[in-house]
Amino acid sequence: MNRLLALLLVAAAGASFSSRIEVVAAAAVVACAVAWIADRDSFRRVLRVGLVLGAVFAAAAATAAVAWASGLDRGLMIGGTVLLRLVVLGTAAAVVTRSVDAETIMSLTSRYGMERLGLVFGLALNALPHLSETASTVWDAHRIRSGGRWAALRRFPALAEVLLAHTSRVADQAAAAAALRGHTALSRAVEPLVTGARTVVITGPTGSGKTPLVNSLVEELGRRDIPVAGFFQPAIIENREKIGFRVQDAATGEIRDLARRVARGDGAFGTSFEFFDEGFDLGRRALADPASGSVLVIDELGPVELRGGGHWQAVERALNTTDLAGLVVVVRRTLVPALVEALDAGDVVVVDLESVDIDPLSVIIDALVADS
Amino acid sequence: MKDLRPWTHAALYGALWGALEATMGTAIHLGRVPFRGEIMGLIGLVCLVCLRRLQPRVGVVLVAGLTAIFLKIFTLGGLYPGPLVGIAIQTVAVEFGFLVASGPWAAALGGIIALGTNPVQRVMTAWIVGGTEAATAVLRAIGELGGVEAKWVLAGFVGLAASIGAVGGVSAWRLAGRVARRLGAGR
Repeated sequence: MNRLLALLLVAAAGASFSSRIEVVAAAAVVACAVAWIADRDSFRRVLRVGLVLGAVFAAAAATAAVAWASGLDRGLMIGGTVLLRLVVLGTAAAVVTRSVDAETIMSLTSRYGMERLGLVFGLALNALPHLSETASTVWDAHRIRSGGRWAALRRFPALAEVLLAHTSRVADQAAAAAALRGHTALSRAVEPLVTGARTVVITGPTGSGKTPLVNSLVEELGRRDIPVAGFFQPAIIENREKIGFRVQDAATGEIRDLARRVARGDGAFGTSFEFFDEGFDLGRRALADPASGSVLVIDELGPVELRGGGHWQAVERALNTTDLAGLVVVVRRTLVPALVEALDAGDVVVVDLESVDIDPLSVIIDALVADS
Repeated sequence: MKDLRPWTHAALYGALWGALEATMGTAIHLGRVPFRGEIMGLIGLVCLVCLRRLQPRVGVVLVAGLTAIFLKIFTLGGLYPGPLVGIAIQTVAVEFGFLVASGPWAAALGGIIALGTNPVQRVMTAWIVGGTEAATAVLRAIGELGGVEAKWVLAGFVGLAASIGAVGGVSAWRLAGRVARRLGAGR
């Protein structure tokens, strides 16, 4: 939307608060004209049944109240003004919501040195669908466990406690990710990454053996003389307990510590982990300049990468500059759709370790080398 | 790098409030559920008090409120000025409560102001949308129907809503304590 149209829309919104019906009517005509020129689809958003009924209800209530106090003519005049005013405000809101997105907000806030406000708005926009879905899921689970809607409402504090605690955990994770990888990591939408490489996505619940499978895959590819690049993250186990993660270069076998669990309160960025720069450096080096014809292995990509942060740029460079034979990526289940969307890779084979019936290693090898 | 947790908590709690306004709020407003303003006010109060107890920083509640308004506009809630005015007043009320008091008293004070101003907000919304004449006519109609003067009707609603706000504020503070214990924060 250009500046003239934006100014006209703002002027119309301001004029709609006039007490003279002819001024409000003129504002409604201007607002509708701007919407028609700038974005015709915005009308469809305004013409939802609920919104139209709400506006008509407000106008009818104003008409009835004023007609009762000052006569029918005056009531109709005020009711008409209210209806026209809501047309202007509704149209303006519809045009604005379609013209401004998180990217616009981010660039606007950073232009005025308010990066953190941009982080807040961007993060909130991204979190909105997730929190709506979580609220719905928590409510369903609570209702079923309580034996009905009314019983569930009586136990509202327990429901709220679960939802609020979940929100806090997500906020902690977001703070850790933003502190580690920069503010924009949480709010930037990722551009689809085109790759001609055969792509395999490995997923499954915690402890299902994703990383050991990647390790076996690297060994098997080595036996077949297929070059491998990338990295995987074996767990550090002490006394049968997972206490951290290492990064291992798939090509050279070089290994470095990435994160170790520490006492609560001693961790970095609000997490219970201490992080090591050498681990991040090795991860970046492992993704740099993979040999032509190699299989790129990435264990794993998280939500930060799928929003364009973390290792994403290194992955982008690797896929853009090299003729890769294959790409193997580990992600958690909830991120599989986002990853498939982020990779414009044609056919993608998804291997879920909980549901796969046959040997997952052979499935992956077949997907990577079947026709070569 | 500085701790970003107050900012991300403000974003997430603002988003949670915005999500509940967009889903549950829309449903109960379209369903014309009685006391819908008070119900949504209580939900907002729970979010804000819990946020302030978990992240006791001045201004964090204002950022969450700003986020909720931002999201409300982006989900077409900007069509109705009422909820936007409500969110803004409620946010300032809770922040004010925690500036002048502490603990459950602050939550109760925030609740009293936040919900106590709810009936006034409706009059303000009627004034914004319909003008002075419509707002006065609505007040007069309510007064005539109840057989008392409009100001007493308004005062009655304010008293009732403020009482609900006080109880809601203290309950929200206790709920925030349970959330903190669940998270193991030791507060």
